[in-house]
Amino acid sequence: MVKYILQRMLYMIMVFFIITLMCFVLVRMLPLPVLPPDDPHTAVVLMRREALGYNEPYLAQFGLFLKNIFTNWDWGLSEKLYFGQNVWDIFVGKLPASMIVNLYSIIGSIPIGIGLGIFAALKKNTWIDYAISTLTMVVISVPSFVYAFLIQYIFCFKLQWFPFLMAGGTNYFTWKMFRSLIPPVMALSFGTIAGFARTTRAELTEVLTSEFMLLARTKGLTRTQATVSHALRNCFVVIVPAIFGEFIGILGGSLIIEGIFAIPGVGGLTLNAIKGLDYNIFMLSTCFYTAIGLAASLVVDVSYGFIDPRIRMGSKK
Amino acid sequence: MKRKKFLALLLAVSMALSLAACGDDSGDASANSGGSSDGSSQSTQDTQEKQDTQDSQTPVAENATYTFNTSASTLPAGWNPHTYQTADDAVYFDYTTDSLYALFFNDQIHPLEGREAFDGYVVVPSMAADFPVDVTEKVKASHPQFNIPESATSGYAWSVKLRDDLKWDDGTPITAQDFVDSLERCLRPELLNYRSSDYNRGTYAVVNAENYALAGNPVFQSFADAGTTYADFIANGGTDDQVAVDMNGFWGVTGPDSRFNWGYITDDNMVRDPAVAEGEDEDYVSAKYLWDNYLGPDGAYAGSGYDSQYAGTISYPYEAGYSFDNVGLFVSGDNELTFVYANALEGFYLMTYGMSTQYLVKSDLYDANLKETESASGSVWSSTYGTGMDTSVSYGPYKMSEFQADKLMHFVRNENWWGWDSDVYTYVDPEDGNTYQMYQTTDVDIQYVKESATRKQMFLAGQLISYGLQSEDFDQYRTSDYYYATPAETIYFLLFNGHEKVIQERENAADFDKNTTDLEMQMLENFRRACAVAIDRENFAATVSPSRQGGYAFVGNTYIYDPETCAYYRDTPQAKQALVDFYSIDLANYDNDLDKAVDAITGYDPETAKAKFQEAYEEGIEKGYITDTDGDGKSDQTITMVYAMSDEVDDFFRKTFEYLNTSLNKAAEGTGLEGKILITPSAPVGNKWSDNLRNGVMDTQMAGWSGATLDPFGMADTWTDANKAYWGNWFDASKYDLTINLDGADITMSVRDWALCLNGAMKTAQDGKEYNFGYGQTSVDNRLNILAEIEKFMLTAYNCVPIMQNGSGSLLSQQVYYVVEEYNPMMKRGGIQYMKYNYNDAEWAEYVASQGGTLQY
Repeated sequence: MVKYILQRMLYMIMVFFIITLMCFVLVRMLPLPVLPPDDPHTAVVLMRREALGYNEPYLAQFGLFLKNIFTNWDWGLSEKLYFGQNVWDIFVGKLPASMIVNLYSIIGSIPIGIGLGIFAALKKNTWIDYAISTLTMVVISVPSFVYAFLIQYIFCFKLQWFPFLMAGGTNYFTWKMFRSLIPPVMALSFGTIAGFARTTRAELTEVLTSEFMLLARTKGLTRTQATVSHALRNCFVVIVPAIFGEFIGILGGSLIIEGIFAIPGVGGLTLNAIKGLDYNIFMLSTCFYTAIGLAASLVVDVSYGFIDPRIRMGSKK
Repeated sequence: MKRKKFLALLLAVSMALSLAACGDDSGDASANSGGSSDGSSQSTQDTQEKQDTQDSQTPVAENATYTFNTSASTLPAGWNPHTYQTADDAVYFDYTTDSLYALFFNDQIHPLEGREAFDGYVVVPSMAADFPVDVTEKVKASHPQFNIPESATSGYAWSVKLRDDLKWDDGTPITAQDFVDSLERCLRPELLNYRSSDYNRGTYAVVNAENYALAGNPVFQSFADAGTTYADFIANGGTDDQVAVDMNGFWGVTGPDSRFNWGYITDDNMVRDPAVAEGEDEDYVSAKYLWDNYLGPDGAYAGSGYDSQYAGTISYPYEAGYSFDNVGLFVSGDNELTFVYANALEGFYLMTYGMSTQYLVKSDLYDANLKETESASGSVWSSTYGTGMDTSVSYGPYKMSEFQADKLMHFVRNENWWGWDSDVYTYVDPEDGNTYQMYQTTDVDIQYVKESATRKQMFLAGQLISYGLQSEDFDQYRTSDYYYATPAETIYFLLFNGHEKVIQERENAADFDKNTTDLEMQMLENFRRACAVAIDRENFAATVSPSRQGGYAFVGNTYIYDPETCAYYRDTPQAKQALVDFYSIDLANYDNDLDKAVDAITGYDPETAKAKFQEAYEEGIEKGYITDTDGDGKSDQTITMVYAMSDEVDDFFRKTFEYLNTSLNKAAEGTGLEGKILITPSAPVGNKWSDNLRNGVMDTQMAGWSGATLDPFGMADTWTDANKAYWGNWFDASKYDLTINLDGADITMSVRDWALCLNGAMKTAQDGKEYNFGYGQTSVDNRLNILAEIEKFMLTAYNCVPIMQNGSGSLLSQQVYYVVEEYNPMMKRGGIQYMKYNYNDAEWAEYVASQGGTLQY
């Protein structure tokens, strides 16, 4: 297993550099905005582009990019969106807001989603199962921003239970902040709850009809004992990696939900960086998400082995 | 099992640790009340009337706060006055900066002769202790390095005494030297500050500022500007390796050295044209390519004028290492500044534009935030000045008290601002005649709110001061007592294509079906005139964009021809007469009252439209543009105009196309063009839409010009300049003569020459005399006469049809009111400076709660 993990990490690093290089070159190949010839500011912008090395060969630019990172942990300065500011500070400053909203969402979604899935599976082919399954399908089909607007209208405007926007400041563990986060968390959670409910129901339904469950019951286990000790453990082989995947999503933020509830997170940062041709921000966020994605795939793969002893990674036998 | 539990525990701990690391205790944001939390949702049915004026004009109550709660869909990321680029960034300056001279509404304290109170504005010394003093003669003698013209006796050098109580928000004094140091940093060559050109170029440039900012840089000078041609240049000993092409101006690309817009014609290094898809023709071009194929002696544009305009030579007029001591701003006495300009200035323009000192920065803080970074090509300087609380400083009425990027900005009163302890910032209320201090607002809170739906709900919940109406809101709120319409300067024109050669090329293309489609009819004046009167402009605006209104002229309602007195061009008899003449209004029907006649203009006459469409049909048949093979009296072809789209068709354009096509075809009912007119969108072409219109590749757009609110005369130059006007490739204003009677004498010259004369050029009329009708060269009445005549001429040329005046609509909260409700392009409605409160924050919260948390407008 250790050898397997080391091998995967080596591959990870190689893939990381290939993706980074590709992104760097591709983004630098994007056409720069045409500057108005009559605008006196044009000359200054052109001179700054030259000073920033836009006219050097791509590999030379990439080399300088890597050198600054490895020698000074310098990811460069924002050239457009946050002109002159350190992009690492910008990115790290925005990460917590995205993480906190998504963390609350997942913490709430996992028990509710899995609980609903179990309940539906246990009540298979009853009106309860039909209701949960139908609701799940509806919720999955509707984009989260639709809930966001509905939640904002009903709970913030009509009922006035919550503020319209996330509270300001960076003290994320206050009641005021928590209360202001409930609407975006609700908007983000509906889809996640539905996803977990559907996965759990499908897996549990299949497991509950397995022969070993019949054997467990004939051995004298109660239905609850058989379900909890045997059925649930089996269906977690699928559910736990999904939970890991959701946790990785914590870091990604949500462009639309963040916009609607004024969450100063990373959701729109990458997109805005591409639109604004802010290369350094784009490269940092690309590298970050590439690293997270690769690490996540490794964690998920390894987790299979822990959850189900029958799965052995890297074994030659 | 143990291993799994351990893994789970490890995961949980690592998550908790990472979260803990992310949070800090750097303070909390201001409250953003969600309203009452009692769950009540009933809304009052009682319409709230504006509060009684006497009750509402309560001075600032002890300890009461008056918060200006507003929202923005984009918050500034930085507000360094030397580097900011957008209006979004500039919002910080609205609250935290001051100026040498400020604009106030005219009232009893600041009267304006011949005008009602609050009908105009006056310039008032703010950071300056008094009005500027002309010291041209003195400076000319004492500072020869400024090269003030020998003949000049005034207007070039002005001294200003500063107030002695100016302070930064930390209480340290602001001195005259701070202004000089700030301008030096703004212009410093190695910093490459975006805003440096605001002070070193153009009409209001400080003398020699350009030499300092661009020290050592090369400059492209076209042959046209040098008064020569390529042939003459070569004949006089010039060589090809000295000739360059303005690649950005001519082709929209940078030069091979991307710092510069130009490239030598011997340089065959290719640069990418971002407007052309990779792999298509001319996706890469070089200076040599442009010269060989277009601008050179064998090029397509040889002798067209473009060759002289976009080809020229490179010179190095800016001396390397130029000293700032030669730049025209210096400390001339005890707390006294002297400004020296490249051009003579005076009055309004001098004090508002020439003496703009937005470059003022706190030097020690500025220097501490400068950073030199190594790049691929050397080093580049950046600054973090004005990017957060600890890198910002105020010298205006408010100072920043909280900032969170992309989230919020909060400002409180800057107690170190001199204006709080002075009677300068006072006004006399037009309603009660009492004198009040300006800036009743104690706090300004700006929240990032992306969605208009959220803004609307927050406004109705009393959490925002104003709400900009969306199209769908107008039906409900247009008649509200709290509704404010705000005109904008742009008039949108429906353009017509007149590029006959290109139109015929398009019709002759292999994939064009001439049996069913026609592009030529739009060149006929009858067709254009029919279109002009077939559209009910007010109804059109109300349908497609309710915040706007019908447009009838080339110059919009907001243009001021005399900024000293805030006099509007459209209010002049000349401008009114031009419209009355163009729309053939019989003054006799309106008691010879120009105002009544102008008010009666609708520009909508379906009967005339029908007649003109029929005449156009008959003319089109005669000219062979269209056919009627089955003899049913109807065109076989659909008259098609391709609308140049910069982006995808959205709701606005869907409505626009539907309205225009319906209107035009309805007016054409019963004519040979019935059901045969089609305006259809092109594929999105990005910012190439205007080029496509100018080149005749596409036919129409609702386009217009904005800016220069204080210079309607300059617009005449735009309309008649082939390089600027959309119709420049087929309408040559220099070929049309125009006779105007000035001071009893008829003067005839080309329309283009009239426009140039109006803007300061000396031109020879047909009487052989030379004329210059620029600013200060003739009476204002004469200038208005000329502008009105040119406007009337351009309307009758039918290159386009004015159709819509830009504007917006908004609701104002019941918490506040404007002292003056009439919109003024310079003063708006007084802004936060003149805003008054019906309720302080505590009272407002109570009031909103008493209304069930939702207000009625």
